[in-house]
Amino acid sequence: MNDLLVKDLRKTFRLSRKQRRIDRTKERRKVAVDGLSFTARRGEIYGLLGPNGAGKTTTLRCIATLISPDEGDVRVDGKSVLTDSLEVRQYISFLTSELKLDDFFTPNYLFDYFSRLHGVDAATRKKRKKDLFKRFGIDRFAEVKVADLSSGMKQKTSLAISLVHDPDFIVFDEPTNGLDVLTARTVTDYLLEMREAGKAIILSTHILSVVEKMCDRVGIIIDGRLQAEGTLDEVRRTDADANLENVFFQLVEQSEVAAA
Amino acid sequence: MKNLWVIFKKEIYRVVTDKRLVLGVFILPGLSIFLIYTIIGTAIGGQMDEEQAHVPTLYVENLPGEVEAHLDAHMDYTLQEGTIEEEALREKIREEELDLAVIFPEDFAERIDSREGIPEATVFYNQGSNHSSNAYNNFNQAMGAYHENIIMDRLDDPSDYHPYELGTVNLVDERNVVAQGFAMLMPMLIIIFLFVGVMNIGPDAIAGEKERGTIATLLVTPTRRTEIALGKVLSIALLSFASALSSFIGILLSLPQLMQFDDTLPDISIYGIGDFAVLLLVLIITVFFIVALVSIISTYAKSVKEATTLIMPFYFIAMIIGIMNSFGTDVNQSLLPHLAPIYGPINLLAGILTFEYSLVNFFATVLSTLVYTSLFVVLLNRMFSDERIMFTR
Repeated sequence: MNDLLVKDLRKTFRLSRKQRRIDRTKERRKVAVDGLSFTARRGEIYGLLGPNGAGKTTTLRCIATLISPDEGDVRVDGKSVLTDSLEVRQYISFLTSELKLDDFFTPNYLFDYFSRLHGVDAATRKKRKKDLFKRFGIDRFAEVKVADLSSGMKQKTSLAISLVHDPDFIVFDEPTNGLDVLTARTVTDYLLEMREAGKAIILSTHILSVVEKMCDRVGIIIDGRLQAEGTLDEVRRTDADANLENVFFQLVEQSEVAAA
Repeated sequence: MKNLWVIFKKEIYRVVTDKRLVLGVFILPGLSIFLIYTIIGTAIGGQMDEEQAHVPTLYVENLPGEVEAHLDAHMDYTLQEGTIEEEALREKIREEELDLAVIFPEDFAERIDSREGIPEATVFYNQGSNHSSNAYNNFNQAMGAYHENIIMDRLDDPSDYHPYELGTVNLVDERNVVAQGFAMLMPMLIIIFLFVGVMNIGPDAIAGEKERGTIATLLVTPTRRTEIALGKVLSIALLSFASALSSFIGILLSLPQLMQFDDTLPDISIYGIGDFAVLLLVLIITVFFIVALVSIISTYAKSVKEATTLIMPFYFIAMIIGIMNSFGTDVNQSLLPHLAPIYGPINLLAGILTFEYSLVNFFATVLSTLVYTSLFVVLLNRMFSDERIMFTR
């Protein structure tokens, strides 16, 4: 009941005439996610793996309540994204490159602003800001406008801001993108720490080494469908060499053959 | 609704702490209007002063004594000495070396006295020259008086020339004259300034956030779409109102120069506190209506540029309604027009400024505008929840 449950999720998008021409299809709708089900449990990191256009981001956007599924549901701590979206947004943290920060403001102002929107009291906000800013090295540029920050600094700021409310469910889409090796390590260490603290974490990435190092269970999505799921060992065992990369490429090839 | 104020404060802070926006939204509108109108007023005043100070140069051949007496009574002038050929005379008038030339026949006065035919004098002037045109007008007035004298001399009883007297008593209320002036100008300016004020802020606050991808960051917070919609509408309304106020201050300060009011402001003391309170209320609901309209367009648009383009037709419609009001004769007192968006508030503003409005019309406009605004806000709320609108790029 306390987990993040994705159940029979289906999401389609209407294709514009231009998109139909580019995709060389007569179909008016594109199926982005097709009957996807998985569970991210507390105290584990669930890796969502898939090639570009597989439906990972659409799934994450449904979880974050930015878009609504056509069919199925996502339940976060028992709350439905369809009927209790406000509560769901209180429990989750969502980080993706799609979410941008206003160039005019400083990390310091934005942290306070989003904390207020999440209803975090002043004392907790102050303490949390100090901890997160120190951990990700944001304190060195806390008063610099976002417009003047490097892409790595912006990513760190986005990361800290997504955690202003100390959420129980963390949904991160490529969180180490744009970060140097040291900061990327800080982020992965932080996620491992969060796992130990009993949070449920969904990590969407195409970096297999990150999945192998961090994830407890993994789901491989291709063409909007879950093609494989299980613990890392369970998924690896489907390949003779127990190699995750081989498993991934085999599934992609099978999918291409089926589509042809 | 706590987050409504968090968003409201952030939107206000965003504008008032940005020097460029402060300059563009609050200072430049008023300053540019003040400078433009002051320059225009100064130029018009300077031209009028120069015209008044100019003493026209006249060339007159065979000037009869009686005509000269009338000329002296009606205008200052300098007579050009010597004799000039007609062709050269024409050239001098065209080149504005001379303002006016008149050639009387030698026996002009004699023929009038003896009534032998009709003597003909020729006047040369240049309509393209202000100096020449003014000299011509003054000369005509002098000749008119001369003409009147001749007629009176020819009558047995001079009083026959005036078979009746017409006495006029102007009972004008000076207050109404000033009020009519305000009613002609202000509703149009108010609607234009309010629209421009909203257009300065609205598209960037919503379409800009969509374009930059910052609205999605807000949408994943536990904030109701209604709070976002109202937070945006309220903050844009306040900032737009301040921007429009800047334009009003600019025009009020430049009015004395523009209208040549002897450096005094138009007398607004004809209006009482009650009138100002009613005006303010109508302005506020009008701002909210425009903000809600612009917000819907900005939410629908994919970029600030698209939003500004889509708002333009509505701005032109509002401007045309404002201009029509300025050239209209009376305030429309029917109930139905008071229910119309934009036209209703403009008509009511004109009614308030001329002290010609009824409470029924007042409430009809206020309530209908509030209803339209509320419907827009409901629509805005739905649009914020519509992923196709919020995430289509």
